[in-house]
Amino acid sequence: MTSVSLAARDVSKAFFGNPVLRGVSIELRPGRVHALMGENGAGKSTLINILSGSLSPDSGSLDVGGRTASSLSPAEARQAGIAVVHQELSLVAHLSIAENIGLGAYASRGGRIDYSALAVRAAELCALVGLSGDLSRPIRDLPLGERQLVEIAKALYRNPKVLILDEPTSSLSARETERLMALLRRLKANGVALLYISHRLGEVMDLCDHVTVLKDGVCTADQPMAGMTPDEFVRLMVGRDAGDLFPAFESAARAETVIDVAGLSAGMVQDAALTLRRGEILGLGGLVGQGQEDLLLALYGAMPARARTATMLGAAGLVHSVTAANRRGIAYVPADRKREGLLLTHSIRFNMLLPDFGRAVSLALRRTSTERKLTDGLARLLTVKGDLSRPVQALSGGNQQKVALAKWMPQNPKILLLNDPTRGVDVQTKREIYLMLRRFAQEGQAIILLSSDTPELVHLCDRVLVMREGNLVAELPHGQVTEESIVAAAMGVSPAREAA
Amino acid sequence: MKALLRSRPLLTTLVVLVVWIVAGFASPGFGSWPHLRYMLELASVIGLVGAGQTVVVIAGGIDLSVAAIVTLSTIALPLLSWSFDTTGAIAVLGVLALSTLVGLVNGIGIAWLRVHPMIMTLAMATFLQGLLILMAGGSAVTLDNPIVAWLGSARPFGFSACIMLWIVMSGLVLVLLHATPLGARFFALGANPLAARLSGVNIRATTLCAYGISGLMCGLAGLLALGMNGQGYVGIGDPYLLASIAAVVLGGTSILGGRGTYGGTLPGAVLLVTITALITVVNASPGLRDVLFGTLVLGLLLLSGREAKRR
Repeated sequence: MTSVSLAARDVSKAFFGNPVLRGVSIELRPGRVHALMGENGAGKSTLINILSGSLSPDSGSLDVGGRTASSLSPAEARQAGIAVVHQELSLVAHLSIAENIGLGAYASRGGRIDYSALAVRAAELCALVGLSGDLSRPIRDLPLGERQLVEIAKALYRNPKVLILDEPTSSLSARETERLMALLRRLKANGVALLYISHRLGEVMDLCDHVTVLKDGVCTADQPMAGMTPDEFVRLMVGRDAGDLFPAFESAARAETVIDVAGLSAGMVQDAALTLRRGEILGLGGLVGQGQEDLLLALYGAMPARARTATMLGAAGLVHSVTAANRRGIAYVPADRKREGLLLTHSIRFNMLLPDFGRAVSLALRRTSTERKLTDGLARLLTVKGDLSRPVQALSGGNQQKVALAKWMPQNPKILLLNDPTRGVDVQTKREIYLMLRRFAQEGQAIILLSSDTPELVHLCDRVLVMREGNLVAELPHGQVTEESIVAAAMGVSPAREAA
Repeated sequence: MKALLRSRPLLTTLVVLVVWIVAGFASPGFGSWPHLRYMLELASVIGLVGAGQTVVVIAGGIDLSVAAIVTLSTIALPLLSWSFDTTGAIAVLGVLALSTLVGLVNGIGIAWLRVHPMIMTLAMATFLQGLLILMAGGSAVTLDNPIVAWLGSARPFGFSACIMLWIVMSGLVLVLLHATPLGARFFALGANPLAARLSGVNIRATTLCAYGISGLMCGLAGLLALGMNGQGYVGIGDPYLLASIAAVVLGGTSILGGRGTYGGTLPGAVLLVTITALITVVNASPGLRDVLFGTLVLGLLLLSGREAKRR
């Protein structure tokens, strides 16, 4: 029998009653590179967090070094030699490269940190991952790609037996990627068990020996890589019955333009031009973090922005504050509803009324009966049941999202800016949200839908803009847009921007 | 019943009543109406400072300049008196405007210049204290304003004017916090400033309002303190810094912001005055009094005022 470094057996996990993993098993073996594939929201991150001890599964078990446990603590995971390179970097910005690499496991001599030993070891590791230059530089001075390399060096510092890499190449250059691939092959030869998560199919097929594919929290494949074709991958990963989930597409776009912006620069966004018409749903796609969010925030006045020319809802110029945006009729629903969208400890009712509080006359007396009627109406519309004086965090993620979206409805916004409104939302609620968006569009509201869920862009939007590295690189009208064309544009495979 | 027992304003009120009853039996004269009234008069000053502090804390900040603003208003009153102003109304309005202005400057520093509330208000306190020493030196200021004197000592129908003023202001603050959109904005700002901003709450204006209200309340409290004392001097406001924050927290308002009510600060203020009265009853020396007061406040906060874990 072959040895197993780390395995999860039949694990399930749900957040607020919303299942994310259902009976998933995975087995990592020494000297094997295992690929974990799946769309955004398929449950990959949750599985990684369970394997590395950050989360406990609701059911199922974990095998670590021949021992079976129902869950791991982060300390146990570290002792077992499990290291993770996270997609969201976990470095301390003001500490040096070397200090970050050794963080939490400094060699000490006589109770003090042995900086010379640390420097030697850090230099070794940096040479290994291909990071050159002064190791006493603070992390905040490093570009994103080099930070990623530090993150990998940090994982290697602990001599891991199991190394989990979550999208390690997303911010690396081609040369850095090549070097990383060579390093991973060396680790593999040394008997390290590797779990590799990436959206780059070529990389995965090249590097990995075995693959597990997740779809909506269920394992759809667990097999050797040999003989897999790209088409097969796509079938295993997407293959969702789209017709059932999305309402039939029917454009409600009208002639009247509500946003006409050219030469917009804000944050990552460079020189963007876009138009939006009444009743139109404009999709905004691309890989995560290419400047899409900055674009929305700039249009919402929540981020400093400049534009060569701008007309929004008939008025010239960009809006320069959220209050001004609200006054003009622009509403924004953030992606991170817990941090940016809702007051978690406040009641559902209070959250629904918040935009109104923001605009109402400061010292006017609130009318409880009017508020009650309004919020009861919204709750009925959203099919949110139960007592509205409960804190909003008592609701499921999907229902929270519906509250975050619907709180704007009493304001009758003319433009809705939606930042990944279905992230972490169950399928049933997704469907309800899609129907809401269709209805808004038919009522003449204009919508910009930023989404990390490609099928959404394909099935809901009149047009899809794709962003890469702060630039709008493609505009794909409904009918021509496919998941493949969006992904191709996002990765820079397609020719330049099509007819605008 | 369970919900009632979890209501911190109610619990604090019960504690006050129990202490009053026990002390009333233990020490003759403690429970008499003149003594209780005297304690309420003292509590009205803490209560007013605590009102502003409650608003600021609910809005997610803290005001460490309250003591200095209280002192400022007592010292500034005679400076704003003119001979043609026989009723003293102009001087009173002038003091209130001045203290509100100080609060607004705090708000500007915090909302526009993004100075941390603790740093901003502490710096403001230090600045004001230095200024007051320059202005008044060690000398005391004598009260010659009819309105303030009336507020501090009049007892129409046997009920002190300052307590009545406190009751009226309490009603206004409670309405402001719980029945106006501005009050709702304070709660939203304190609970999650980012979410509040993205939901259209004007964070800067709301912050400005909170500190402005605190300044105004301190001005009012300073006038009451001056009226009761008959004299103003540098340091008259000093006890009100810890007292206002302790009253807020004893009343169940989260020091982290976003949750609470002035309804809890009211019994909180009375409880603090009661503790002071008990310390006086045992005849402690001045230094020991502060030691006891600090210890008791800390003890009470340990018993009731710790934050429940928040996710």
